[in-house]
Amino acid sequence: MKKWMASAIVAGFAVMIALTAARAARIGERAPDFTATDSNGKTQKLSDYAGKFVVLEWTNRGCPYTQKQYNSGNMQRLQKEWTAKGVVWLTVVSSAPGKQGYVTADEENAYVKQVTASPTAVILDPDGALGHLYDAKTTPHMFIINPQGILIYNGAIDDKPTTDVADINGAKNYVTLALDEAMAGKPVSVATSRPYGCSVKYPN
Amino acid sequence: MLALVALTLLTWPRECARAAQTAPPSHAQLQLIAKPPSGEEKVLWVGVLFHLDPGWHIYWQNPGDSGTPPKIEWHLPAGYKAGPIQWPTPVRLGSGSVIDYGYENQVLLMTAILRTAPATSAGSSISADVKYVVCSEVCIPGKAHLSTSFGNTYSPAEANQWRALFEKTRSQLPKAAPKSWQASAKQDKDSFRLTVRGAPEINGASFLPHDPDEIENSAGRVFVGGDDRFSLTLKKSSQLVKAISTLRGLIVLGPGRAYEIAAPVTQ
Repeated sequence: MKKWMASAIVAGFAVMIALTAARAARIGERAPDFTATDSNGKTQKLSDYAGKFVVLEWTNRGCPYTQKQYNSGNMQRLQKEWTAKGVVWLTVVSSAPGKQGYVTADEENAYVKQVTASPTAVILDPDGALGHLYDAKTTPHMFIINPQGILIYNGAIDDKPTTDVADINGAKNYVTLALDEAMAGKPVSVATSRPYGCSVKYPN
Repeated sequence: MLALVALTLLTWPRECARAAQTAPPSHAQLQLIAKPPSGEEKVLWVGVLFHLDPGWHIYWQNPGDSGTPPKIEWHLPAGYKAGPIQWPTPVRLGSGSVIDYGYENQVLLMTAILRTAPATSAGSSISADVKYVVCSEVCIPGKAHLSTSFGNTYSPAEANQWRALFEKTRSQLPKAAPKSWQASAKQDKDSFRLTVRGAPEINGASFLPHDPDEIENSAGRVFVGGDDRFSLTLKKSSQLVKAISTLRGLIVLGPGRAYEIAAPVTQ
């Protein structure tokens, strides 16, 4: 219970930082541009993809919620399906060195091959800069940006917050739902949801 | 401790046998306990007791930014049904931009078992399938099949121990807010200001939302106490896109002092 006391004491101080810091983009607002490096050493810049849908997928291979999606092949299926339709799919690893899910470029490239993943690129974000820019909380945590650069989805991969592979069948996949609707020119019916998963392993 | 191990072996022989062979450390030991009856009590209480390794936690019904709460599927004799889990007041966990709500060390998730039909001779054994995720820096999913029975033959010492545990847990459950409290919330684009009137001499308080995606769990909060009221300014979650009419959650004043509130939200 000491935690409550401590948090009450720091509350006044903490809020000054929190309320003045730049806040993460909200639905309907311009998604913040970024420049990052992928696992092939290439620069990935969001604004270079203007005119296309962009999916950001936070991942951590050691996390059971992520494993649910990859061991079942569901995430790979989504990557294949949507990149084939012209969507840019950027997987992001924000695990810090020494933390669960941290990978070198070579390790990540071998892993992508091993699990037959097919994102457009995997961004390595060991300092957590991109993760913090989007306020990514969990793995997985999904964001979708439309061709005009507006954030249209921020949340969970689907509506079954578990680690069970068996729950993928019958789950409503929010990425598919949002992309289907947006590509059909409809408003996105579920634009946010609680992004369930493991915490992103940011640097301390 | 020996008694605990013995009971554990009795209640889940299969799990224990498996654990002894190959499974990695689970970091959580679970027991299903039926509260030994006391006096005139009409409700039957059962609880899943989690013993967590140091540094490991499980989650509240609103887990906060990551994780998921445990799920319990009950198997009861005909004529009984289980009520909702009575969630004790959680603690704030995590650091930086990812903050969770959950439990460390030991927690009992109590549930009332209600009789829906006249008693039959269908038996008194009950079991539960529990699915949970236990986390420290990393997360491990777990499941357990637990069983016990009403009128379990606890020794007098055990019966006292379990009775005391249920009573202690009950004392940690959130309570109805004092009758004098009037909660309301005003919002602007980025924050809620939650005010409780009719609450004199409060020196500090936290708010734990019942629903995810309403407030930014990692943001600080401004507490202002007054003669007969206090207020908390809470940053809105960037995931809150639909207007909410009521802010529901717990006001926590200190250990054993958590109160349920539902604050109507106005502009």
